[in-house]
Amino acid sequence: MLFNSLSFVVFLVLVLALYYSKIFGWTGKKRMLLLASYVFYGLWNPPLVILLWISTVVDYTAGKKLAVVVDKRKRKLWLLLSMFVNLGFLAFFKYGDFLLENFTALLNAVGVDYTARPMDIILPMGISFYTFQTMSYTIDMYNRRLEPARTFLDFALYVTFFPQLVAGPIVRAKELLTQFYTEKKATANQFVWGLFLLTIGLFQKVVLADTLLSGTADTVFGSREVLNSLDAWTGTLAFSGQIFFDFAGYSTCAIGIALMLGITLPDNFRYPYAAIGFSDLWRRWHISLSTWLRDYLYIPLGGNRHGITRMYVALMLTMLLGGLWHGAAWTFVVWGALHGIYLVVERLLKGMVKVKINAWNGIVLAFLTYTLVNITWVFFRAREFGTAWNMIKSMFFLNDEGAKVLYEFDITKVLIIITGLFICHWVMRNTSMKEVAQRTNPWVFGVFWAILFFLIVISQGSGEQFIYFQF
Amino acid sequence: MNLHKSFILAIVLGLASVVCWELYWRSQGLEPNIDDNNNLSSIQRAKLKNPSDDQVVFIGSSRILFDIQLDLWREQTGTDPVMLAFQGASPLPTLQDIVENTDFSGTMIVGVTEGLFFSTTFDKAPPISRAKERIQHYYDRTYAQRLNHLFSIPLQKNLAFVTVADETWDSDVDLKTLLTRLRKGERAGPLPAPFYQFEDVSLDRNVQMSERTTNDTAYANTIKLAWQDMLSGDMPPPDKKGTTEFFLKYAEKFRERGGQIILVRCPSDGWFKEIEAKGLPRTEYWDSLVLRSKFPAYHYADYQQFHDLNLPEWSHLSKEDADFFTTELIKILKKDGVLTHSKTE
Repeated sequence: MLFNSLSFVVFLVLVLALYYSKIFGWTGKKRMLLLASYVFYGLWNPPLVILLWISTVVDYTAGKKLAVVVDKRKRKLWLLLSMFVNLGFLAFFKYGDFLLENFTALLNAVGVDYTARPMDIILPMGISFYTFQTMSYTIDMYNRRLEPARTFLDFALYVTFFPQLVAGPIVRAKELLTQFYTEKKATANQFVWGLFLLTIGLFQKVVLADTLLSGTADTVFGSREVLNSLDAWTGTLAFSGQIFFDFAGYSTCAIGIALMLGITLPDNFRYPYAAIGFSDLWRRWHISLSTWLRDYLYIPLGGNRHGITRMYVALMLTMLLGGLWHGAAWTFVVWGALHGIYLVVERLLKGMVKVKINAWNGIVLAFLTYTLVNITWVFFRAREFGTAWNMIKSMFFLNDEGAKVLYEFDITKVLIIITGLFICHWVMRNTSMKEVAQRTNPWVFGVFWAILFFLIVISQGSGEQFIYFQF
Repeated sequence: MNLHKSFILAIVLGLASVVCWELYWRSQGLEPNIDDNNNLSSIQRAKLKNPSDDQVVFIGSSRILFDIQLDLWREQTGTDPVMLAFQGASPLPTLQDIVENTDFSGTMIVGVTEGLFFSTTFDKAPPISRAKERIQHYYDRTYAQRLNHLFSIPLQKNLAFVTVADETWDSDVDLKTLLTRLRKGERAGPLPAPFYQFEDVSLDRNVQMSERTTNDTAYANTIKLAWQDMLSGDMPPPDKKGTTEFFLKYAEKFRERGGQIILVRCPSDGWFKEIEAKGLPRTEYWDSLVLRSKFPAYHYADYQQFHDLNLPEWSHLSKEDADFFTTELIKILKKDGVLTHSKTE
């Protein structure tokens, strides 16, 4: 089920009505939320709920055992079981065809004539999100950083909680699981603020991403021609906006919906396009994934504890795998590699040049960071290296005679929105939406909210899927 | 922060704006309409899950979709029409799907628009891909999509500005289409002629030409311009051999299991009639298909009563004449005894 759909509106109204009715006690409410979460997921493809159940049962059992077993070998086995099941699901459902393709290419490269039929495996929605979330629980249990879930119901709800089930934020057990232990109820202010977050999240998705930017990005990246520089840049900038509004929109909706139930989810985005440098970017973009990768991959790989070379290797590996997490294609690996290189270069430069950041050089550096981020988006969006390479050449003015596929109006529209996005991120860099809302006159804020609502309604949208569902 | 104040203002202003938006578009002549989208055609396709003897299936392209009026068909034949003709699409993928994936063995009426029927069998070419997308949706649709469609119906029926189409018309009033209308200049090539909606659709996929297209010549002329714009470029040559063989292969299988096929050529007029006569002459295409398939076949040009019908935009009948065409065609089919399951008079 999509947040930007009519069925979700009905679903949410029903869930809220049941949640705030006096029919259930707290346990009953949690059961209702769990059932609603399975319905939310199952309305897309009912049999795939079984994967969620398996993940839940395995990790709950592993966590319970890890809480009591002392023997190191046995503890490791329980951890391995959890990782085997979760990573096994990912390997089979997400990377099965990719692995087969590469295996076939490898055999062909060494002269073995082999053709494999694609397995055409269906990709369960949000599998990368819930497997990472549930694995974090077992790993934390293994490292004795966490108390086990008090009940199976609490744990199942932690794995399946519908607002963040299919596209995050990837929430740690200590942040979410513990909230289910005592009855939660949103205050009137929390409820209304949650509703505002849902509105602004839908505005980002329906109006900004789908209505205003996706068409231009699709035209440019779908073109079979070598493009003019202006078109290539406009298409890439449009995609940079589209993916931000799409994904941040989902996270904002998720946080808002959870808040309406009295549950707090952590921020997933903090105005990333105003980041000064790439370490800053990853503290602002998809925060729940970057912290997951830091805690469960980069640090176990050695982090910065074993010298500079090892640190750079760990950084590169983390970013390469981070790239692969997004999709089973080498273009995603290149995207991760570019981010890894940016991070390494940034650290090297920081060791050599000391710059004191102020408002003036800050915005220049933020603009430089954003420009470099756009280069990486080309590999993220293009489905083939040929397309990506042509786009990059066009963006570096190497295709003078490139085709023009965009009308003046589309170029102007994208440039206005992206300039607005960049300025907005810069202005909001050190503050939050809530702080700004608190400073704003309630009548002005109400008018702003009404405009968002109106634009969502007249955009209508066609119930387009969120980009990150496929990851 | 006084959120309650802001919330109440947002609700009042937001709803008032939406009401004004609806009233504005109604004042511009826009009426609520059902969208002929993938979900609507999947409902029709689902009727063949457990087919019955009293069903008649229509496949083809937009002409049979507009020219056969299902309410009259139902009333005058006592059969249940299943409308699986798709705009701008070839009937071949639908025929293949029905033969391979259903047990339907009743009457299938195939609308033959030569430009689409004989175009190609290539999967990615629009006449085939458009039909395949509709058919595939039936298999791929999720329960969430079904619910969304169900909930959208009251909105489609009551609000003029609501569009839930899979394809856009230039007359749509969603924000994306409205902004597209602001495009000017020729940087990316000449702007295509606007293609405005000219149909009214009901939930059973009965399609009629809108009153505005019939009564407003200037509006109908915009559709004519759009046809000329769409069809004036270089078109790939028809694949008569490939499409005929494809059709005969599945039609024969259908006949073998007791099914009956009736070929119908609906009227065309003006510029359309001229280019069809030049590019896809009757003797070479229609007559050849009829001769090879040996199915009962009805070409509008063979019947005096179909000679002076009103086709406001050259390709589809006005509502009034679609009623006439349906009624007369039923009479002819009954007279010839080819409607085997229809009620007798």
